Amino acid sequence: MTWHSFLNFSTMGHRHIFFVYAGVWIAQGGYLAWIAWNWAHTKNIRH
Amino acid sequence: MEQRTPTLRNVAWLWFGITIAVLVVGFRQAIFLVPAEATMGDVHRIFYYHLPHAVLGLIFPYVNFVASLAFLFWRRRDPLKALTADALAVAAAEVTVLYVGICLATGMLWGKPAWGIWWAWDARLTSELLLWLLYVSYLLLRRYSPSGQAGTVGAVLSVFAAIDVPIVYMSIQWWRTQHPAPVFGPNGGGVDHRFYPAILWNMAGWLMWGVLIMLFRFALERRRQLAEQEAALQAIEASLEIPR
Repeated sequence: MTWHSFLNFSTMGHRHIFFVYAGVWIAQGGYLAWIAWNWAHTKNIRH
Repeated sequence: MEQRTPTLRNVAWLWFGITIAVLVVGFRQAIFLVPAEATMGDVHRIFYYHLPHAVLGLIFPYVNFVASLAFLFWRRRDPLKALTADALAVAAAEVTVLYVGICLATGMLWGKPAWGIWWAWDARLTSELLLWLLYVSYLLLRRYSPSGQAGTVGAVLSVFAAIDVPIVYMSIQWWRTQHPAPVFGPNGGGVDHRFYPAILWNMAGWLMWGVLIMLFRFALERRRQLAEQEAALQAIEASLEIPR
């Protein structure tokens, strides 16, 4: 595969490959961002 | 603590950097380097993200299970240790929901072009959905339980939820399913050796990522617990002050 075929949405199979790879990074990155946001907004009483 | 925190932070950033590098290599292997599978063609590349999430989605529930048992053991003997175990349990449960949810979603996105259907109510898919629902209900139960009881109620549910894990794992051997038979292990059909680099890099990458987010979520829960204790202590001290 190449970038061109990875971003080729003409067939269902190719669309689903892109949805899986993009969706996993978005879901995992979103969860990490949610933790980081809460981390920054939770009082740290150790300092 | 003042000296330990910067070291931990540096280790965490180093771990994060290595994890991203491993995941980028895994992505490159899966999309660009390994050949297409003979029958399914490029759609097979979904496997390289589906498999790590499926495998790890059966490991994180056991972290939750062991942490829940530790909580139940310590909750009267040593409440401070019990709180730490409870923080690990909730972190592992959230990561389980994330990994099992991704496993289900990627499986459906693979199933439609490969089988022609999004879903089949076979033993593997149904028991995996049940696993996801059990850990979603665990988190909801904790969220809406009366304050002080959430840990205990959640820990008891966790013990029951863990029973589903071996059922999910063995389902493709015990019953005839739409889901393919195992490819790894003593009864596995095996895979072409040319696919191994993509499988192993992505397994390593998503394992390292899972450990990272679980420990970060654990640290957040500990910070939240300590802030809650501090607030409770201040409220008690304020209520004990005698007006002059």
